[in-house]
Amino acid sequence: MRTTVKKVAQPLLLGLMLGSGGCADLTVPDYNNPGLDELEGQPTRAMMIAAASGLLIDARGGITARTGYVNALGILGRESVTLDGSDPRFVTEYLVGPLTNSGAYGGGNWAAPYATIRDANTILNSLDRVQPALTNAEKEGIRGFAKTIQALEFLRVINTRDVNGAPIEVNQDPRAAPAPLVNRAGVFAHILKLLDEGRTHLQAAGSSFAFPLSPGFSQFATPATFVRFNWALRARVESYLGSLTTGAERTAHYRAALDALSRSFLDPSGSLTLGAYHTYGSGSGDALNGLNATVIFAHPSVTRDAEKRPDGSADLRLAKVRTVASRTQLGVTSNLRFTLYTSTTPVPVIRNEELILLRAEAKWFTQDGDDAVKDINLIRQRAGGLAPISLPASDADFVTELLKQRRYSLMFEGGHRWIDHRRFGRLNQLPKDQPNHVIVSAFQIPDTECQPRGSSTCSAAS
Amino acid sequence: MTKLLLYALVLGVSLLAGPQSLEGQQRQITGTVTSAEGTPVAGAAVSIVGQNRTTQTDQQGQFTVSAPAAEVRLRVNRLGYAMREVVVPLAQATVNVRLEADALSLDAIVVTGQATSVARRNLAHAVASVSARDVERTPSQTVDKALQGKVPGALISTNSGAPGGGVQVDLRGVSSINGTADPLWVIDGVIVSNVSIPSGQNAVTAATGLLNTTSVGVVGGSVQDNTVNRVADLNPSDIESIEILKGASAAAIYGSKASNGVIIITTKRGREGAPQIRFSQKLGVYQLSNTLGARNFTRDEAVGAFGEEVAAYFGPNGQPLQTFDHEKLLAGREDLSGETALSISGGTGGTRYFLSGLLQRDAGIIENTGFDKQSVRLNLEQRLGSAVEVRLNNNLLHTRAQRGLTNNDNAGVSYYMVLPFTPNFVDLRRGADGLFPDNPFERSNPLQTAALGKNEEDVWRFISAGDVKVDLLQNDRQSLRFSLVGGADYFAQNNNLFYPSNLQFERDDGQPGTVVRGTSNNLNLNGNANLVHTFSPAGGAFTATSSVGVQYEDRDLNIKNVIGRNLIAGEEGIDAATTVNLFDVRQRVRDLGVYAQEELLLLDNRLLLTAGIRADRTSANGDDAKFYLYPKTSISYRLPELASFVDELKLRLAYGETGNQPLFGQKFTQLLANLNIGGVPGLVSGGVLGAPDIRPERQREIEGGFDLALFNGRANLEFTAYDQRISDLILQRTIAPSTGFGSEFFNGAGMNTRGVEVAVGATPIQLDRLTWTSRTTFYKTESEITELPVPTFRVGSFGAASLGVFQIEKGKSPTQIVGYNGRDANGIAIEEALGDATPDFTMGFTNELTFGPLTLYSLLDWRKGGDVVNLTRFLHDAGQLSPDYLLPSGVTAPRRVPECHPRCSGMERVLGFNTYTQQYIEDGSFVKLRELSLAYRLPEAALRRIPGRVRDARISLSGRNLHTWTDYTGLDPEVSNFGNQQIGRSVDVAPFPPSRSFWLSIDLGF
Repeated sequence: MRTTVKKVAQPLLLGLMLGSGGCADLTVPDYNNPGLDELEGQPTRAMMIAAASGLLIDARGGITARTGYVNALGILGRESVTLDGSDPRFVTEYLVGPLTNSGAYGGGNWAAPYATIRDANTILNSLDRVQPALTNAEKEGIRGFAKTIQALEFLRVINTRDVNGAPIEVNQDPRAAPAPLVNRAGVFAHILKLLDEGRTHLQAAGSSFAFPLSPGFSQFATPATFVRFNWALRARVESYLGSLTTGAERTAHYRAALDALSRSFLDPSGSLTLGAYHTYGSGSGDALNGLNATVIFAHPSVTRDAEKRPDGSADLRLAKVRTVASRTQLGVTSNLRFTLYTSTTPVPVIRNEELILLRAEAKWFTQDGDDAVKDINLIRQRAGGLAPISLPASDADFVTELLKQRRYSLMFEGGHRWIDHRRFGRLNQLPKDQPNHVIVSAFQIPDTECQPRGSSTCSAAS
Repeated sequence: MTKLLLYALVLGVSLLAGPQSLEGQQRQITGTVTSAEGTPVAGAAVSIVGQNRTTQTDQQGQFTVSAPAAEVRLRVNRLGYAMREVVVPLAQATVNVRLEADALSLDAIVVTGQATSVARRNLAHAVASVSARDVERTPSQTVDKALQGKVPGALISTNSGAPGGGVQVDLRGVSSINGTADPLWVIDGVIVSNVSIPSGQNAVTAATGLLNTTSVGVVGGSVQDNTVNRVADLNPSDIESIEILKGASAAAIYGSKASNGVIIITTKRGREGAPQIRFSQKLGVYQLSNTLGARNFTRDEAVGAFGEEVAAYFGPNGQPLQTFDHEKLLAGREDLSGETALSISGGTGGTRYFLSGLLQRDAGIIENTGFDKQSVRLNLEQRLGSAVEVRLNNNLLHTRAQRGLTNNDNAGVSYYMVLPFTPNFVDLRRGADGLFPDNPFERSNPLQTAALGKNEEDVWRFISAGDVKVDLLQNDRQSLRFSLVGGADYFAQNNNLFYPSNLQFERDDGQPGTVVRGTSNNLNLNGNANLVHTFSPAGGAFTATSSVGVQYEDRDLNIKNVIGRNLIAGEEGIDAATTVNLFDVRQRVRDLGVYAQEELLLLDNRLLLTAGIRADRTSANGDDAKFYLYPKTSISYRLPELASFVDELKLRLAYGETGNQPLFGQKFTQLLANLNIGGVPGLVSGGVLGAPDIRPERQREIEGGFDLALFNGRANLEFTAYDQRISDLILQRTIAPSTGFGSEFFNGAGMNTRGVEVAVGATPIQLDRLTWTSRTTFYKTESEITELPVPTFRVGSFGAASLGVFQIEKGKSPTQIVGYNGRDANGIAIEEALGDATPDFTMGFTNELTFGPLTLYSLLDWRKGGDVVNLTRFLHDAGQLSPDYLLPSGVTAPRRVPECHPRCSGMERVLGFNTYTQQYIEDGSFVKLRELSLAYRLPEAALRRIPGRVRDARISLSGRNLHTWTDYTGLDPEVSNFGNQQIGRSVDVAPFPPSRSFWLSIDLGF
């Protein structure tokens, strides 16, 4: 029957199609946005420059969301608690646990860094096809910048996933089978490689970038200064690796950290806030810093554990919190809110105060205890108004002191406390609000990442 | 092949026969058509059997028709009456015809194509028809709500109790995953928009997790703004009839826009004769129909739950000083609602007109909520000579919906998101100083938010449909008609949200005061040209109707949103905002379709054969130059006199294919060009991988069934079964985020949807003064994913199995709900299917009892099964405020969910959260008393005493959604936090509470 119908109707239809403007053009373009194919094909110079600046928009993605990098890691590290009536999962997932691998909570802090990495790869892939062509120095500047930002984003990934690993060879057709998972050491090695390559490119990038950087990178807006940011990231990575290894390997990492610090923007007499920042703004198309949400509280242990100054007053860094009306949810209570952020306050990527503490750590573990304590005391005095300490008796005592200074100096800036307690094997020292709470040691690989690999859970072979 | 020969024959014969039959002797037959009660029947179609001439009766029921000089059979047809044929001998020149009421609508004329129609008696597929009377019995805010419970094969569900629209019409089950869920709405031949445009309330609720986004750019994504689908604008009282083409076999002629079915609305028209005036006034009230209840605390329990601070709310006896019913305080308003409608219609000298006006004001149960509508319509027809008819239907509409702040949020502002955390011992009422107290338990005081906030949606809409019909040829044997239909549907939707800076939550967030201004402009232009040829040989052995046509449509939607925060001095103007965000999205789709169709009515009009094909292309496809073909064919046969009590048995079988177009933008991989960081502009990828080769989804449907008429039209039975094979489903699968993309569109999966529809009508009692008619419908549908080229993936809800999520899995129902059911030895959650949102079946029971001037009418709507993810309950449990929070007596320690389900206490439910999900997946079965009315028609004697020339008058008392019987513990099992969704409905998150309405109506005809 069907074929008969077609026999009768098709000649008729054919006539109609032709007679009624069957070849009329129905094309409707995308009125709203340019297409990725334009950037992947033969992009204009303006497009490439906007895409390069866009990496800083990408890198800011998910940093100040309530399930984002600062707050999620803040909750796990008991820096913050989030008591949100609309959504008790800030307690049930992060504190009561287990932290599942599905949804924005346990599955978060993954897609955003990989989106940056993808955009950086798109740029790197089509840089040579820009019309009119960029100069070699301009291209090298974009390459160095893009690879350094990729390193920063892989660090965000591995800091959350830790021993579960992550894929690194992601510069491929997104429709192809997903890249294999690589273990933690492999990811760190990849980060170091990207930083190395980035630095080499930056050194060939001439005196200025072809693209504008955000106000948060005003100290690093030229290839020559951006290299110092690259070194600072390297110092952080080498220190992390130092704390995760032992013996000669540890020493080598810390030595590399010291070398990197000396080439970074570390300045013991400079402002502690000198550094690179994710910036926020209230203009249209800009993003607001979400960390001032009223549901985000500081963990009550912040005031409890603080040291006193010689005059009996509290550590100056307690100005980072203030007392508010108490709120309780599912047995978790807090009456402290952070004063760190308004809706337009920038969030540090890495800054001088951390570099000084990284130097203290690296010096201690390269048998330079006196200099290590000097740096610790520099922070104790300048940041906390506290009395200096003398040489700690053991590695353990030093680490205790280091973690305390890092906790108060880098409070609620990027998950430092959780990451630090993990890399020094001290997660069990974090306080639990209720006996049934758990201390999560790592985010799992999200189910959305595992499902294309044929399973709802997955991780790299160690 | 026989069909082909037949076709050639038909064409050949008709061309030969054509010119000759213009000759021949003619005579005039005049007469009057009356109803059984003797009143004239206007607008009845009178035709001579075997010929092509049709005329209509005028206001007095009179007609004149020319007939051959021989004995003829005269056929009289009128919607609502049984068709009647009378033999008129050559000698007789006048004839009076009495029509019996046709409660079962066998003789309604049903459209079968763009420009053709056939009597329901012969129709080869099930088409549901709803008459003006059915729509108007009980006042309803929107057309789609008026259809609830009346159509077998349709699942019509409201998304919340909010005034105005937000209704999903699902015809014949799930047909898509990511395509549109809405059927195609056609009014007077013109496709109109039923788009749902987000209000922008996400800027206040942050339901998507981010404040500085709106859902406007979301393509096929979830929208939690409690949106209104724009069919809500239409005026139900303008409707003459609604026909619902449910499946592909009926709707194929609409091609790639029809796989969700087609709803064809015909508006009222004037009839020849003196002006007729109809006036109706309705007064009514909406009333909160369900509450969730609250937990009562003793002091010790409260201190245990909220800490020592709450002791102050309690007296020395340990009991609260005062308790408050927050739900009633919030949603307890019962303000007067009303509707005034006036219409004038008539015709003279070839001109016919229908003029109507409507003023409607529905007051919501929450302060500052409601739905207003005004409508003016002019339908004008003019005959030019005997061959040309011109028609123009114009409708100007204005609606204004105020819908409050409901559904999911992340800012602690949506009313039913706040109440789960607000115990009943705290007073939220406005104080003597005129100020509202802060809610110490959450970020907002819902009474304050409702009183001071504003969420308005104001729509001006103009729908214009014009057509020209030209009878190029008309004689006894054949006719050729050309029709040209053109229409425009334009609306401007203005959303105005204002949440002033003195609101508790606004003061708190560092950006006090929020204003959202949304402006959306939509223009649907469409036109079609058709050529219809009918041919019937001498003796009337068959009638062949051939039609061909072309159709063009252009839908252009532009949404602009401005979100302002941090308002200077709390001013409402957008220029008072310190932080401003702008959004601009334009979605445009252009379609072109051509079709050809042949219908053959044979064997004394007993056999109907239909075949047709449509070819479509659209700009939404990857290749916008490629035509996709959609064939259809059907057969129906009426068996004569099987038994003495059987009037007729009709067997029917139909096959058809339709498509579901990709949505705008699914073919593009976007870069976002609207972002900057500290004023430095940047380009980033949009995260969704488009499909450059995307094509329409295809539905192939076979439908078969029978219609049985019994006992001289006193009873009938319609049975239909359908089987839809849907292929090329457009999927948005989640891809590994390490690719840098979150998801990807592609054509891939296949689905099979099967179902049955049964309607049983009967007139058990038909006496002089007492008539009882009854109609029962049954509908069951189920779907299965038959082909899935990608691993199982999730859609809808919140994407998290712990909260219940829809999972697309081969061999399973697409609406299955997956959640946690315990943990394995490694502490990994075990995910299992825990429910299905598709109901087991639905039934509708309509009964009408007429006793003299009194008519009692009722409509019961029963939905069996269909699970709902009740996250409102989860919120109450998490807030420790569910009425059943505490362990039941005799239980000393919380039990695991499997041990107490489904009678777990709130404490056990929330303790089991993240390990079990079944405690929040509930059976959504219900029986609703949708409509109940008692009408009294004033007798002649009484009418004469009324001044003026009142022809008829009716007073009625009616109610809608008067009662719901259900075990569902939420506010209403008809709920969708995510609006209209094929998959992903039935998620209950803080909806607008449901209401019932009561009405007193007076209808007068002059």
